[in-house]
Amino acid sequence: MTPQDRVKINRLPTGVPGLDEILGGGLPEFSFNIIAGAPGCGKTTLAHQFMFANATPERPALYFTVLGEPALKMLRYQQQYTFFDASKLNASIRFINLSHVLLEHGLSGILEEITKQVAAADPSIVVVDSFRTVVRNVLENEVQVQGFVQDLGLLLTSGEATTFLIGEYIDSELRDNPVFTVADGLFWLYQNVERNSVVRKLQVMKLRGQASVPGMHTFRITDAGLQAFSRTLGLAGRTHKPPGTKRLSMGIPELDEMLGGGIPEGDSLLIAGSSGTGKSLMATQFIAAGIREGQPGIVAVFEERPEEYATRADSFGLDLNTPMKDGNLKVIYLRPLDLSVDETMQEILDAIEKTGAKRLVIDSLAGFEMALAPGFRSDFRESLYRMIYSLTGIGVTILSTVEMEESFTELLFSTYSISFLTDDIIRLRYVEIEGQLRKVMMVVKMRRGAHSNDIREYEITSKGVEIGERLMGYDHLITGIPRGIDRPALTKFSSRQKTAQR
Amino acid sequence: MNRNIPSPKIRALAQRLLAYEDSAANPSAAHMPAVFCVSEKLRHPLSTLAGNSGFRSLLARALTLAKAQNPRLAQCNVKPDGSLEGLGTEEQDAEAGVTLIAQLLELLVTFIGEGLVMNLVLDSWPNFTGITSTEKRDHDPTR
Repeated sequence: MTPQDRVKINRLPTGVPGLDEILGGGLPEFSFNIIAGAPGCGKTTLAHQFMFANATPERPALYFTVLGEPALKMLRYQQQYTFFDASKLNASIRFINLSHVLLEHGLSGILEEITKQVAAADPSIVVVDSFRTVVRNVLENEVQVQGFVQDLGLLLTSGEATTFLIGEYIDSELRDNPVFTVADGLFWLYQNVERNSVVRKLQVMKLRGQASVPGMHTFRITDAGLQAFSRTLGLAGRTHKPPGTKRLSMGIPELDEMLGGGIPEGDSLLIAGSSGTGKSLMATQFIAAGIREGQPGIVAVFEERPEEYATRADSFGLDLNTPMKDGNLKVIYLRPLDLSVDETMQEILDAIEKTGAKRLVIDSLAGFEMALAPGFRSDFRESLYRMIYSLTGIGVTILSTVEMEESFTELLFSTYSISFLTDDIIRLRYVEIEGQLRKVMMVVKMRRGAHSNDIREYEITSKGVEIGERLMGYDHLITGIPRGIDRPALTKFSSRQKTAQR
Repeated sequence: MNRNIPSPKIRALAQRLLAYEDSAANPSAAHMPAVFCVSEKLRHPLSTLAGNSGFRSLLARALTLAKAQNPRLAQCNVKPDGSLEGLGTEEQDAEAGVTLIAQLLELLVTFIGEGLVMNLVLDSWPNFTGITSTEKRDHDPTR
């Protein structure tokens, strides 16, 4: 069979942002689907979003409620969502309560009534809500259940309609229940409480005819209904950009020099150091340098608000307010404490798409981890890997900061064991010299080129980070407690000396 | 404000609906009080949304509330099939009918909002002109 001979299956938009990407392009037309999950996990809302996105007066949607929530109550609550378009009611979307039919005529009556309504309305979408309750209450015999499901499935499929059964199921029912065999699509929604956070996830357990993205995807329910966040971050199928040779300035000439000409475009750079070492300032200088060079940027902050971030930059002579107003810089503040990485990523990706950003700062990874729901923290490393791989793959250069607990016996690169995820690492640390707490920096790793091996002292001044010369006259600098060697030690680095040395 | 007393706007709508049914009554329904006709016309869309028993419950609740406002309704009942009994065609019965329909509409407004109730009324009485253009505009979902 040639590709031309194959039946073309149209894919319908689900009306749920992010879900079409997870499904591999949308929901197959005329498919027979089951939306399963515990109460309150968003099954009804998902079906409603699909109806409001697709139903037309010519091919309406029929929504049958049997023993669950009556349509009257459903209307009361669903109209709170922004996707709810009251002008579609009756003409495009019809709610039909069948509870009395079930009570008076049993399941055969239900089938008969659905058949009658489907024949009369010629719908493009049919939803039977609380299907599970019907089967559980009316039929205990498995053969009868199978027969009923098959009849219903056949009826719905032959009506040239995309159909849904909505039911409350538990995972263990998946094994033996015949309804799952008949269905073309099986969508399972979960809602788990992890410590004090609620985490919602969905899984496409089955979808005939097209490749969906496997695994658990997080989703959120807001005033706009469900929004799903694909594990592939919406970047599946995009060509991975080959690494370029361009170097990006860090906004600190001496640091560019230490990096062998700047940070390679499309790299992921980690700046690690303890509190007060200037990580955030370096990140801000990196973003500001990009803005000066006409490269839009995104800053994801977790520990301060965008206005505070801009004000702090201003105190170092870095104007972020203008590019923020011009749309060349977006500062994203994320701190809801129950985020998923995918959700955070979606926010960042949307901002990248909007601004055309080439530089991204994540300040800091510790804040990022804290913003995640506890259940996602255990996957932080894996999530970080997906995020970095996806973003650098589209040519974005990422600078992340990470807070390090200072040790005076060894030099740690990262508390997250994430150094392997990054291409380049700059380590900042305090050293005790002659009764002073001074700061040194070193480039620890650069995957795509040579870099300076110098350990250089630096200071934070009103102009930002100012880097001095290689700190000579000491060894054991990386432990934080250096020892003087038999050479004259340098006096404390100062801007005046640096200027003189130039 | 007493939450059990319908707003003047809803009461006026009920009055206009009953007047419309009164004037539009076909010969076979001529002997039937307008309140029964209005209730019967609302039965179909409400049963579709809430089921037969749901419609009966709504009407029974509206009647309970209306009885507190108008003693004339003391003899009125909702039959098991959801139809009404116990009202005649006298003027006082007509006034009691307005009270009952206003309560039913107000109850619906409480549940699904004024916009959807106006839609439901317009769908049930396509030729009814008793909804003012302002009311229509206020609830035009396409706006």
